[in-house]
Amino acid sequence: MLNIFKKTAIAGAMILSAGAALAEYPEKPIEVIVGYSAGGGTDVMARTAAPFIEKYLGDGASLVVKNMPGASGQIGVTEAANADPDGYTLGTFNLPGMMARTIDREAGYDRDSFTYLANVVNDPNVIVTSKASGLDTLDKLLEEAKANPLAITVGMSSLGGDDHFALIKLEQATDTEFTIVPFKGSAPARTALLGGHVAMGILNISEVAEFQDQLNVLGVATKERSQFAPDLPTFKEQGLDLVNGSMRGFIAPAGLPEDVQAKLIDAFSQLSDDQEFLDAMAATANPVEVVTGEEFKQLTSDLYDLANGVWQTTPWN
Amino acid sequence: MYSDLLHALPDVFAWTNFAAVVIGVIAGIVVGAMPGLSATMAISVLVPFTFGLEPLVALGLMAGIYNGAMYGGAIPAVLLRIPGTPAAVATTFDGYPMAQKGEGGFALQVAVVSSSIGGIASAFALMLLAPPLSKVTLLFGPSEVFWVAVFGLASIIFLLGGNPIKGLISACFGVFVSVIGSDPIYGNDRFTFGQLEMLDGINIVILLVGLYALPPVIDLLETPLKTDGVNSSKLGTEPIWKALPRMNYWKTWLRGSLLGIWIGILPGAGGSMAAFMSYNEARRTSKNPEKWGEGEPEGVAAAEVANNADTASALIPALTLGIPGTAVAAVMLGGLLVHGLQPGPMLFRDNPDIVFGFMWQFLFGAILLVLLGGSLATNSFARLLNLPRPLLGSVIIVLMLIGVYSIHGRMFDVYLMLGFGAIGWVMDRLKFPLPPVVLGLILGGFAEENLRLALRIGRGDPMVLFQNTTSLILVALTVSVVVGPTLKKRFIDSRKKA
Repeated sequence: MLNIFKKTAIAGAMILSAGAALAEYPEKPIEVIVGYSAGGGTDVMARTAAPFIEKYLGDGASLVVKNMPGASGQIGVTEAANADPDGYTLGTFNLPGMMARTIDREAGYDRDSFTYLANVVNDPNVIVTSKASGLDTLDKLLEEAKANPLAITVGMSSLGGDDHFALIKLEQATDTEFTIVPFKGSAPARTALLGGHVAMGILNISEVAEFQDQLNVLGVATKERSQFAPDLPTFKEQGLDLVNGSMRGFIAPAGLPEDVQAKLIDAFSQLSDDQEFLDAMAATANPVEVVTGEEFKQLTSDLYDLANGVWQTTPWN
Repeated sequence: MYSDLLHALPDVFAWTNFAAVVIGVIAGIVVGAMPGLSATMAISVLVPFTFGLEPLVALGLMAGIYNGAMYGGAIPAVLLRIPGTPAAVATTFDGYPMAQKGEGGFALQVAVVSSSIGGIASAFALMLLAPPLSKVTLLFGPSEVFWVAVFGLASIIFLLGGNPIKGLISACFGVFVSVIGSDPIYGNDRFTFGQLEMLDGINIVILLVGLYALPPVIDLLETPLKTDGVNSSKLGTEPIWKALPRMNYWKTWLRGSLLGIWIGILPGAGGSMAAFMSYNEARRTSKNPEKWGEGEPEGVAAAEVANNADTASALIPALTLGIPGTAVAAVMLGGLLVHGLQPGPMLFRDNPDIVFGFMWQFLFGAILLVLLGGSLATNSFARLLNLPRPLLGSVIIVLMLIGVYSIHGRMFDVYLMLGFGAIGWVMDRLKFPLPPVVLGLILGGFAEENLRLALRIGRGDPMVLFQNTTSLILVALTVSVVVGPTLKKRFIDSRKKA
């Protein structure tokens, strides 16, 4: 008796799953793997974006955010890279971190492991100095850096992250050298700057927006001024070619069916014009810059090449 | 600075947040009353379950448990001469003789009122001292934080009492565990054996649950507690309004509170030391020291006021500097981090309602202690000792497994916890103290990271560690903690000879 039930159940399940392939995507909930704990920047982005993606996918689509924190996001992104490419597992993706990890350690994925959907957040780097340092303009900072190589200490959140690459770009562009002090995360780095324990810091604009009266914010590494701090000049305006930031977006495993990929990218690309979404992201200090599909892939590739080039000349560990 | 304090008050009275404190206090009394179960254990088992809760609900539970457990420990201390928590050892000295004389009810009432007073004093200390201190903490750069960590390690090793060598070995084990994972500067893997799960290092909650919860639970299942029921049947409890006028221990309460607060602030020392010091001081200044140890209520008051007075004050270094001085403070910090609240000066700026609300919850937890533990239910809480221990033990084990699994949703952590549990059980049997392991893990990590940062700032010159007054004061404190006990012993020995 039990056996009959079992057989019917299995047969039923097979018919259902065969049907799923034919039906319109998405047929069931889509899992979004976030490689960080709930409440972090990447998690907030995923949870803020999820209802809007559901709206643009239509047909009662549902996105379920699943946190798999650990190893600076690597556990989660590895899981997403190795998932079935059926469109029901997506993952969050951080740049340049995810690419840098394929260079500085053995990773279970590489840049070809993904279908690139969309980068959503671009949090540009800023250069700040402590009030105690007296280096309150970019010119003063560079003058001091040239006069005394390595004398300026630079607090940042980690080695091999966006802060680090911004500093390397700065050093290459201005032919200067700084002493790197990599804190564990940006909050302690910022605290050390407020206390004057390091002279200079490279952070992201969302992290210093509320501290503009307690720190000297010298400029922002964007092409155009950021909406977060419209009064803050870009480095370009100050004659320095420096564009860099921390990026967060969404990927799927490589080999996604073309129609599924097209549908997802279409949904993501509509985010940039959704005022409600932009407001929600602004409220959580996430500067939006949507880059989809091929362009996102190219962006990742460029960053990989930059990181790899840096690694060849000055490995950071 | 203090206006934020008032601003946080309405949130505290939201009924869910207030209910959390009430439940926490009751749960804390229960936990404290079970010999072997401690506040640290209860809170570490609880933390993983608070992921989904509002921050103030989670923190309210923790504040309540901490306050409740510090008193709960007095119940078996008085009735059975078994301290329910390590901090209640000094309570047995006079509490148990009182119970034998049929004054157990009064002893418990003295304990609960004193606990409550200690807790209130401690909460006020936290409210008054933490906000201004949080401004000063910007002075603490990497080299200062390094010295705070070293000072904390030194004091837990040398001040915990007992055997400094065993303390040192325990602390070294903790420091070793702190080394596991990717290194704080370069991110090189250390002792991870290629496991991605190990890259972030050992999560403090996993270590705490294994170390603090598993050995007592094994104990719970292993040894049937002989509850003779003799003392609990002759409590002789009067209504608390009749008992209150008999308690005239203002000097003892004041002294015990101040001692407890001070010891709580010092990293490393904890409730049991506060209770012993307060008991000794109170006896030394008493008019009739010969009666102490034979059932002097003031002895119970001295011990209980001090072991509650270190509760909130232990959070002062934890909230302002991010450096927890005790195991309980460490777990509570873990609870804060779960909710994305990064301790340190920014906490007071970014989340004033939560951090000040937490302080209020400590205060109300202490006040509720008298209402819940004292007037309502002294007698019923005394019956806690008759709970079936195997059942309790099994429930705790299940909670531990679920809790640890839910931190990252992986079995690996559960195995890790069981491994630490086994180590903890062996250490416990060999009488190695466990608090230094926990502080070794936390402070060891702090010490390494900040030493390396400081050296980078000084470009490799170690003199950077001695360049300012704050650092030098901390160095002096550390030296005094290390050589102080030895010098004192020499001094006493030489006086004996002379």
